[in-house]
Amino acid sequence: MTGRVIVITSGKGGVGKTTTSANIGTALAKSGHKVVLIDTDLGLRNLDLLLGLENRIVYTIVDVIEERCKLKQALVKDKKNPNLQLLAAAQTRDKTAVNAEQLKEICDILKEENDFVLVDCPAGIEQGFQNAVAGASEAIVVTTPEMSAIRDADRIIGLLNTKEEITSVKLLLNRVRPNLIKSNEMMSVDDVVGILEIPLVGIIPEDTGIITSTNKGEPIVNDENALAGKAYRNVAERILGEEVPFLDLDEPRGLMAKIKSVISKLKVKV
Amino acid sequence: MLMEKSVENGFIIDLSNVKNTSQLVFELSSIMEHPDVRGKRICLKLGSLDLKQSQLLSIKALIDSMEASIAFIDTISEQTEASAVSLGIMISKISSDAEADIKASDNFEEKMLKQESVIERTEGEITSGAKTEISLPNFPIETTEGIEDIYDEVSTEELSEVIPSENYDEHDFGALAASEGLLPSEEVSKYILLDTGNVLPEGVEENSDNTETMPTLYLHQTLRSGQTISYEGNVFIIGDAHPGSEIVAGGDITVWGILGGIAHAGSNGNVTSKVRALKLNAIQLRIAGLYARRNDTLNVPYVQKSNEFTPEEALIEDGKIVIYKKLRRD
Repeated sequence: MTGRVIVITSGKGGVGKTTTSANIGTALAKSGHKVVLIDTDLGLRNLDLLLGLENRIVYTIVDVIEERCKLKQALVKDKKNPNLQLLAAAQTRDKTAVNAEQLKEICDILKEENDFVLVDCPAGIEQGFQNAVAGASEAIVVTTPEMSAIRDADRIIGLLNTKEEITSVKLLLNRVRPNLIKSNEMMSVDDVVGILEIPLVGIIPEDTGIITSTNKGEPIVNDENALAGKAYRNVAERILGEEVPFLDLDEPRGLMAKIKSVISKLKVKV
Repeated sequence: MLMEKSVENGFIIDLSNVKNTSQLVFELSSIMEHPDVRGKRICLKLGSLDLKQSQLLSIKALIDSMEASIAFIDTISEQTEASAVSLGIMISKISSDAEADIKASDNFEEKMLKQESVIERTEGEITSGAKTEISLPNFPIETTEGIEDIYDEVSTEELSEVIPSENYDEHDFGALAASEGLLPSEEVSKYILLDTGNVLPEGVEENSDNTETMPTLYLHQTLRSGQTISYEGNVFIIGDAHPGSEIVAGGDITVWGILGGIAHAGSNGNVTSKVRALKLNAIQLRIAGLYARRNDTLNVPYVQKSNEFTPEEALIEDGKIVIYKKLRRD
């Protein structure tokens, strides 16, 4: 079995790489695929927090590389889903503790036994980025509809295009606010895709539920009612090759909004 | 209530007494129906009326549909001002003196032509924090930050930054097509020359070698942020050059697409080099030793793609960088 190694990257920090990694990983695992998440953000690890696995980490990726443990020992199984495993970053070391060849080697071993290896890339374009993309054959570029995030995504896409091993680069647009787009205060999905010129793999609406899910260590894909959770589940399905239409974010949400929308429809009929 | 001052090619329409938007549109459309208004530059006096961006846009569309254009808006409403700024429409004050002046002036058009086509160097441009200064002949115009003293001292011939104000399009901020018959040529002053002097590196001399005989690098790709092309001859790119990219060429630079990064043509001192693009939106244009920055009023890094771009060409003329909206054939 040879799994797919997908790096999740963005250039700019704070656009949602780690949240995306945790959610796509969880969604893929829920659909029955064996998934390993690798946190390559050495010194600033977060992925374990989002999954609520911090207390289970004994060995980290640096321990594996410096041969203090076997790779299997360092993999932390998810609380709910045994299909999902995490290879945590070392919090006490920095990016120079690992090099690109070592990370590629780890990816190569892991993809033999898993369907998906998702690499959560640190912000920036230095060593950490070079490490994270080393073993990957696909990339998902996360961006938000802001000038600075788009500029950095553009830079990252340029860098990814120079890597021969990476055959597919796709865009995930995060933190989209339909009401701001409507009032012309935010760039629309079409604007961003038009600028970056790569295929879209997902549109994730801004959702306050993300904050609580992060704090609880429970990815939002596990919440059946959350819109962002549904959007992430759709991304996972698209990664699996299914054609899923993008969510209609204009749909009214919440009970009152739904009632109002029904009333307005009735009025039209009358 | 509605004052029209017909001065060759400019009109002031005073709508400051209008109470609401619908009255405004009514009054304006009745004036705009007049055949004399066609092709004119309209100075709208809006008083204290609050206009949203969308409302102002419709008004602009109304004026545009009559083949006229908005020169600037005189308003005391903050909201209208904000809307105008977001649409790239100039805000100015028409002083009562100016109104009198306009009336008196009988060669308004001619003077305006002279002013709008000139890009001059500005003393202290870089250090002055890039404040937008607007000048139209006979219009003692204030910027929203207040009058610059400089205008009292300098004659109109020496006024420096000139911002064309017509033909903005909502999706096409960069395109400041010169309206027909207003400007003597297709020159567009959407760039402002930086007062850096001639900044050729030491040992590099200005030259006028023929760029046609130079070798040409031909690329079929999108140039993304952070990517640099540096070549001793001409550079020809089919694709866009995104903001954050940089092209340095010894000769001409031609981009068959949107040029949004930095372009330096004639980097070895060749003053005959040109920069051409289907859409010239470069944040900075450099030709030989001259640097020009994009006008602050056009600070839109990303331009939407369109099938209706008019090719633009930047070149040095009389020691200035000028931009032609069409490719000229000598």
